Amino acid sequence: MSGADVEARLREPWSDLETDHDTAFARQRAGATFGIWVFLASEALFFGALFLTYTATRLAHPEAFAAAGRETNIVYGTLNTAILLTSSLTMAVASQAAEKGLFRRMTLWCLAATAALGLAFLVVKGFEYREDIEKHLVPGARFALSQAPAQLFFGFYWLVTVVHAIHLGIGIGLVARLIEKGRRDPEFLKENPQVEVTALYWHLVDLVWVFLYPMLYLPGRSG
Amino acid sequence: MSAKSETPNPETPGALWRRNLPVWAALMALLALSAWAAYWPFGRIDTALGFAIAGVKTALVALVFMQLKHASGLVRIVAACGLFWAAILFTLTLADVLSRMVNR
Repeated sequence: MSGADVEARLREPWSDLETDHDTAFARQRAGATFGIWVFLASEALFFGALFLTYTATRLAHPEAFAAAGRETNIVYGTLNTAILLTSSLTMAVASQAAEKGLFRRMTLWCLAATAALGLAFLVVKGFEYREDIEKHLVPGARFALSQAPAQLFFGFYWLVTVVHAIHLGIGIGLVARLIEKGRRDPEFLKENPQVEVTALYWHLVDLVWVFLYPMLYLPGRSG
Repeated sequence: MSAKSETPNPETPGALWRRNLPVWAALMALLALSAWAAYWPFGRIDTALGFAIAGVKTALVALVFMQLKHASGLVRIVAACGLFWAAILFTLTLADVLSRMVNR
């Protein structure tokens, strides 16, 4: 990258450092990576608390959770896990290519694939929600299952899948932003820390789902 | 940063995909195993296996896709901190929950 390009990407406070621009930019990159990992660690605790609630409730009501887990649609759940894992592949390739300042077209296509897979996840989730509502799997007066604690399972199911979908929606927005800026400015994606930050956030949202999969879709299948 | 890279970068699109595609294939295989294992008639072992596979998937994504394998010490500490505090949260809460279940 030429000196002018680096200077254009430098932000405060790194632009004020009394070093050459390349060193300042390297520090800005390191700061961005460090910052997003602090955020991801706090997200791990946020979702960790929700997962702990699930664990404690499931330990208290194992039979009801097995019965409730049998009611979720494992086909939709497995398909959506595969979709998100694949989106992480395209996101990783986009991030690694951008980090080295290589292959702008491939980076853009990988970002587009990532956003499209994220949207596909939400569409599948929408079909699943429709089926869940039709089967009366919403906690309340007309709940389908006889065991009362099964409502705790589905209370968790709705809360956590909606929170996850909101996270994914934010991720799709961030990726779309990179695509738009990368299309307008041929130099934008090259070595830009924003790509790595977006990618790391995307992977975390994927990993949350990786744990939700055995929690929501696998209980009670063998019984 | 052309001033810093003395050697021309040997990276090709092929090399990028060769590094990441095997991880994706492993993740898909683990997902298939996870779905299949849920139907095995072993009760709690099925559950444990489901979460163990989620853990392996997480390690693969974190190390390769999130590049923790090549990250600085500082970044690794931050990533470990998230897990460390979550582990405290789980240990203290479950110590309470499980001991009550035993005494019931």
